[in-house]
Formats: sequence, C-alpha cells, structure tokens
Amino acid sequence: MARAWKSPVTARGKAGTSSAAQQALPFPEPAAPTRTLSLTPTPARRLWFCIWLPGLPLEACRSTEGAMIVVEEQQGIHRVLLADAEAQAAGVMAGQSTNAALALLPTLQLEERSPVREQQALEALATWLERFSSFVCIADRDVLLLEMAGSLRLFGGLRQLRGSISAGLREHGLTASLAIAPTPLAATWLAKSGRRVCIRDAQNLHSALRDLPLACLNWPAGLCASLTSMGVTTIGDCLRLPREGFVRRFGAEPLLQLDRALGALPDPRSSWRAPQRFCADYEMTEEQSDRELLLRICEELLLSLEQFLLARQLGAQRLSFSFFYLKGPATELRLGCARADRSAARWLELLRIRFERLVLSEAVIAVRLRSGMTQALQAESAHLQLQDARHGQPRRYSITQLGERLIARIGDQSVYSMHTVAEHRPQYAWRTQNLLSDWASSTLSQAGRHARRPLWMLPEPALLPADGIYPLHQGCRLRLLEGPERLETGWWDDDGISRDYYTAVNAAGIRLWVFRSRQPSPSWYLHGYFG
Amino acid sequence: MSSSLDKLLENPRVWRGRNSLQRKAGLSSGYAELDRHLPGGGWPQDALTEILTEQYGIGELRLLMPALARLSAEEAQPDYGEPGWIAWVAPPFQPYPPALQQCGMDLSRMLIVRPGDAGEILWSAEQALSSGTCAAVLFWPESLDDQASRRLQLAAEKGHSWAIAFRPLAARLQPSAAALRLELHTNSQGTSVHILKSRGGRPTVLNNLL
Repeated sequence: MARAWKSPVTARGKAGTSSAAQQALPFPEPAAPTRTLSLTPTPARRLWFCIWLPGLPLEACRSTEGAMIVVEEQQGIHRVLLADAEAQAAGVMAGQSTNAALALLPTLQLEERSPVREQQALEALATWLERFSSFVCIADRDVLLLEMAGSLRLFGGLRQLRGSISAGLREHGLTASLAIAPTPLAATWLAKSGRRVCIRDAQNLHSALRDLPLACLNWPAGLCASLTSMGVTTIGDCLRLPREGFVRRFGAEPLLQLDRALGALPDPRSSWRAPQRFCADYEMTEEQSDRELLLRICEELLLSLEQFLLARQLGAQRLSFSFFYLKGPATELRLGCARADRSAARWLELLRIRFERLVLSEAVIAVRLRSGMTQALQAESAHLQLQDARHGQPRRYSITQLGERLIARIGDQSVYSMHTVAEHRPQYAWRTQNLLSDWASSTLSQAGRHARRPLWMLPEPALLPADGIYPLHQGCRLRLLEGPERLETGWWDDDGISRDYYTAVNAAGIRLWVFRSRQPSPSWYLHGYFG
Repeated sequence: MSSSLDKLLENPRVWRGRNSLQRKAGLSSGYAELDRHLPGGGWPQDALTEILTEQYGIGELRLLMPALARLSAEEAQPDYGEPGWIAWVAPPFQPYPPALQQCGMDLSRMLIVRPGDAGEILWSAEQALSSGTCAAVLFWPESLDDQASRRLQLAAEKGHSWAIAFRPLAARLQPSAAALRLELHTNSQGTSVHILKSRGGRPTVLNNLL
C-alpha cells in the first residue's frame, strides 16, 4: 500500500513545526499551504452556508399552475430536464424525450430552459440574502454561498438564521438544499448530497465528507466513470489513494479541490455585488392601453424600486420609465426629485402629474423602470406632530416638494431661483439656479453697491428710435431724470460693454432704464422698467 | 326693537359688509394713505388681490415691494419650519435680482416659474398657493375667469398665502372672486390707484400715490 493520504487537518496543525507536511504534497503548487498560513497567521474562522437550488430551471419559469416540465435540447432531441411533482406523478421523468412525456400527460405544459431567467432569479435571491451576510457569492448556476460567521450573533444563532433563510426561500417559491461547513466546497458538496448537516468545526470535515458519493462533486463524467470502475465511489475512497499517482492519472485539479474542501488550501471567493442602479421590466401578456392599469404597473415597479433602495440604504434622484410598443421606439418619461428619495408614494405622486399628460402612441406591451445614479440616503427626522398642532396650520408640503411637483409638470428649465453675482455688467449680475441641483443659495454681492436698478429687465436690450440725439419711446421724446452711469467693462471676455445708463420717464409717466451705447455706433436702447 | 334686530343678524343668510369680527389684520402696504383705505389696515391676507394695469412696468411692483420685502425678511418661527417663499408665476419680463435686493428682498426665497401655456399658469399658481410654503404668489394669467379666480381664492385660504394676479384693464368688466381689486393709472404726475372692489371696504380713488 502506498503512503496513506496525509490528513490535511493534521498537515495544517503541524505546518508551523515540521516539514513533513510539505513533503506530503509532492506536486509543485502555486500556493503551498505553509506559505499561505504564514501570510495569515491566525486565519479568521469562517462558516459557509450553502444553498443549492436543484429545481431552479423549473421554478424560475413557473408562471401558471398545473403540471409542467422544463425541456432542454440534448444532441438534437428535446429531453425533459426537470418535471414537477404533478408531472412526476403521471410518470414523466427527467431524461425522457418530450414526445414520450406528452404521451404520458397530454395537458403537460412545456417550457424551454431559460438561463437568463435562472440568472435573474439567482440574482434576486442573492440580493435578498444580502440582508443576512455582507458576503454572498454566486458559486455556480444553481449554488449560492453565504459567509455567515459574522452574522450569527446578530441573527440570534445558527438555528434562527437557518430558519429565517428557509422561510424566505419558501416565500420565493424555491426548493433548496442547505448545508453549513467551514469551507465553501465542503458546504457545496454537503448541500448537493442532500444531507441537512451543519459542521462548525474544521476537524469534523474529514469524517463528514468521507461518505459523500462522487456524484456530488461536479467532476467531469469521464473522471467519475474511471474512478467508479476502479471501485472508488466516495470521497473517502479518493482520499485513500496515493497523491502522486492520483495527480499523474487525473491531473492536479481534482486533488486541489479536495484540499480546498478539507481546508488544507485556501479557497478565496469573490463576493457578489448587487448592482447599485435599479432596472426592472414589467412585461405584459398582451398590449394594454388602459392608463389606470399602466399606472398600477408603474406603482408596482416603484414599490420594487423602494425595496431595492431600502436594502442598500440608498436613494435615487432621477428615474426613467420606458413604455415599449410592439413596433416603433419606446416612449420615455423622466422624473426628477430635488433630494434623493426612495419613497414609492412620493415618486408616484410625481408620476401622476406627468402621466396624465403623457401621450402614448399605441398600446403598451412592456414597461421598464430605471434609476439614475443612486446615493447614500440621509434620513431626516420628522417634526413632532405636537408642534404642528399647536400652531394650528400643518404645512402640506415643503418648498422642495412644491418645486418637484412644478418641475414634474412644466420642466426643469422653467422653475428656478436666482442669486446675484459681483459683476458690473447688468446682464451678468445675476444667475439662475436650478432647483434640482443645489439648494444652497449664495448672494455674493451686497445690495446697494450699484446705482438704482430696475425691477423689470428685458431679456435683450431693445433698440429705441432716436430724434436727433434724443431717444423716442412710443413716439414721444424721453425725459432723462438721472444719469449717466457709465459702465465700460468686460473687455477681457469678448462681451465688453461701453454704455451710459440713464433713468428716463416717458410721456405716460412710466420710468425706464435706457442706455446709450457708445460702441460700435452711438444708439439708444431700452433695457428695463422700474416697475 | 334691538332684540329683533339682533335676531335678524343672527340669521346666517344675512351678510354684513363690515364684519369686524371676521376681519383679519392686513399686511401693511408701506403706503400710509393706501393702508387707511384698506380694511384691516393693509393688504388682505389669505386672499386674492387683483391689480389691473394698462401696461406692465407702470409701478405695479413698486406698489407691492414694501410688503413683499417684509414678508421675505420674516424670520422662520422656531417650530414652524421654513419661512415663506415668494413665487413669481409667468412674469412678463425678468425680475432683476440686484434691484430686488435693493428693495430689501431676500433672494434665497424667490422662486420663478415660467409655465408653457395658460392652463399651466393657473395650475402652477394654485399649486404654489395651496402648498402652504409660499407667503405670496405673484402671477400673470393670460385669462382668469370667475371660476378660476374662485379656485385661486380658495387655494390662497387653504395655504394661508397671498395671491396677487396682474391683469389688463379690460378685465375690470369681468366678475371676480378677488377680495381686493385695484386699478393703476399713470400720468406725468405719478401713478394713481383706484380701489374697484374691496371686501369690507369701499371703492375709492387715490391720486398720485406712487
């Protein structure tokens, strides 16, 4: 008998003291356990929770009640991949051809396997699982891993946590097999074996994995077949084989996997990160033009947006709805909000204002909701109800909300506030301020630094006819009351002015702000009314 | 005799022109002569005021500026949230910020709204009035019928706001629910104010007020 398998647990225990462990690993490896261990002198204890979803292809596609199978094309023939309980009761089994299944149960509902939907379902589940652990990992197309050593105390222990995850999985309509182990691969294999086991101590890994059949390992079929033909049917059998020979015959990868599963080699995983922007579609079975119904669909999308943002403590400032038709480009509807928000009710209120004026050219087949950049949301404390009551007039909504409502209906550019700028040229002495961008207003220049200015300003100076050197307004000569105030500045930016401003009064007694432009040719202009 | 008169006055169907109990103190206009002729000693609060002019720029803003400056400078009450804003809906020209500052207005509480059509002007004014955040809403409607003026009057009451509508002289023949209607005329001497309608007051002519 060749040299027995060196137990990785003991190898790990002795790694620091003897070189026997290194000799036990005859093949060169990129990451020898001793070196890794020396990098992390006290590896943190980890506990991996594995969720295996064997029925995912079926459950991701299920939309109606009744017997149903998922079919997949294998070598040109459609074969049953999975059958639900009702179909199985009628004798339908995985691996049958579709025709055979239909012959057994003519009312059977067929669904083509859809990897996209499976991925979506898996991501939705991963997003939901993020509430239990900061480290969720999509390990395979039907395997999810959670690192949960850090979550145990918060969620009241293993039993409690496992209970709430199982309940959540049932709510998602998924059948799952769960297992807990100190290494991710061990947890995965245990879950796939269907044993509801929970191993907290790495020392027990060896005995727990020993009896697992090779079928749990997801190894290539050829490898499994040749191992089985050698009488090796369990992991324990594999571990008893000489390492050098095993590597020579089957390559290094299977042995590396076994080492990782037993904790002898590190097994770094990358955490799945939920997307920070929201995008969801609602597809309808037939075209709809009922606006109330469309609004309800939008509400549903907004509610899922709220859930999405709530889980991440985020808020969105801009949203965009797309209404898709069977033909032609989709209609877009954009919503903006002064402060990042996630409340579906508030977004819905803004949507209602816009939606009643939205023109949909045809019946709608699908609705998509996308969020713009999201940002961390700062919650605000509400005013005490008591104080409002004392004052006797509760405010219905704040200026921010008023601004949002106005902008939602009449557009971003048409609602603004203003501030002044320290500048002598009248047209540059002020600036508009968008309500959605920044609320902090700055007043740079002090009032009273200029001579008197008119309350009404014309958007552009209007040329006045002249009678000789005197300006005319409404056919009569203007009387100049005050002035001139000479403004000759701005030569540095191609928009320099050279003007003499006067306060004038016309025949009707209206006071005007006029100027005589000195360049390029002398002429009179009206620039504002004193109102 | 007096008891039967009291009984008659108790009847809710009897409307009394000068009901001192219902009258709220007005907002001083800053023009002593005008204040004397306005019931409550100033601009009516929580109500619609209409200002009719033959053209814009003849002094309609100067008439309002002292009162608006006082409103915008009002401190926020500690338990009341933010102080009042002043909204300008569809002004005919650009309100010029440096001049507003010279009049003592706080620019950080100024909101300019430029709606696209006549319906949106009324909608925006109603939203601003009923929001409860605007101390005053100035708006220049393209048209304002009896029903719309009633709606705006109600919105002003609801939001405790002061609605000011600027309209052409031709509108004097149309009925309106406004609490106060003024007409401005200019001549070479100055601007005179005609009080056409004043709830709880009397029509008068104030010559050369401005």
